[in-house]
Amino acid sequence: MIFATLLAAFEWLQHTYLAEAIRHSAALIATLESIHLIGMALLIGTILMVDLSLLGHGIGRQPVARIARELRGWTTAGLAIMLASGPLILSSEAIRCYRTPAFWIKMLLLGMAVAFHFTIHRRVTMAEPPVARSSARVVASVSLALWVGVALAGKGIAIFQPTERPLANAHGSVGSRLRDALNYAAVHAERGAVGGRR
Amino acid sequence: MFLLSICQWLDSTPLNTLLRQSNWAFPALDTIHTLGIVLVAGTIMLVDFRLLGLGLRSVPIAQLVARIVPATLWGFGLMVVSGGLLFSSEAVKMYHSPAFRIKVTLLALAGVNALIFHRTIYRDVAHWDLQSRAPARARLAGLLSLLFWIAIIAAGRAIAYAPGYDLG
Repeated sequence: MIFATLLAAFEWLQHTYLAEAIRHSAALIATLESIHLIGMALLIGTILMVDLSLLGHGIGRQPVARIARELRGWTTAGLAIMLASGPLILSSEAIRCYRTPAFWIKMLLLGMAVAFHFTIHRRVTMAEPPVARSSARVVASVSLALWVGVALAGKGIAIFQPTERPLANAHGSVGSRLRDALNYAAVHAERGAVGGRR
Repeated sequence: MFLLSICQWLDSTPLNTLLRQSNWAFPALDTIHTLGIVLVAGTIMLVDFRLLGLGLRSVPIAQLVARIVPATLWGFGLMVVSGGLLFSSEAVKMYHSPAFRIKVTLLALAGVNALIFHRTIYRDVAHWDLQSRAPARARLAGLLSLLFWIAIIAAGRAIAYAPGYDLG
């Protein structure tokens, strides 16, 4: 039920005027993807700096909280750039995204990364006095793993083909749908249905 | 032309055949290349922002550079190795791509900019290390670096989308 509504929403999105305009312009897509990547450089660069500090490889003897505070605005700017350009790119191929497991994996990881970033990660980086070294290391590793995961899944959207069967089968459980998606990826990797960016 | 014959030779090597025949080589190299470029641009931007007085203002510049440059070099290594392999998988096609030429030129300019910065004004960083805003020449280097890397990313995307031409 909910999946039928979701598919209808994605279909509507792809047929909006803006989405059609983007889809038919290679220049617009290339520009949006460039903006998306620049936002990503900003986001990953600043988060990497903070997480390296948490891992004990900070800048000189600068406290983590100071580095985190000074980079906070730029991390948010990077995220904002990505969240502004991402949905526009998505809209131009919404139905394809809907049918591509990598897209849903990216959304799941993105949700986790954002939630983690603004709660646990924020609290640990801003903690004064700093949290124990071991906890800081775990938090930094989870943060880096989540954001790199988001980036890899994003690349996966372009690499993996959409499934013939929609990911959201109204009769299947979440587990069976996930299994379908993974099976699909494995089968198609063998068959050589993996395309590049062109 | 000389460059074209090099590209034609590259397209005829066993390495090229290997890369083309594999379903995974291109997507995998493309992914590594993107991560590498994001790492380079993301870390260099931090230094650029610091030079321009837009971020990390309380951090001494030399300390920031010492910490960040190894990460930048790692990213650069990933980017160059994967980029070289991607190039050799379709050398003649890249020869005919204006976007590719622009990207290589921009990379060279970014390199020259960094080299000049490190060889000149950065030599006496000790004198302006703690200033929240660096001297004009260092700010210029930071601004140019920022613009070059944004343009490199855009040119990279254009390689994938812009058509090739017969450039002779």
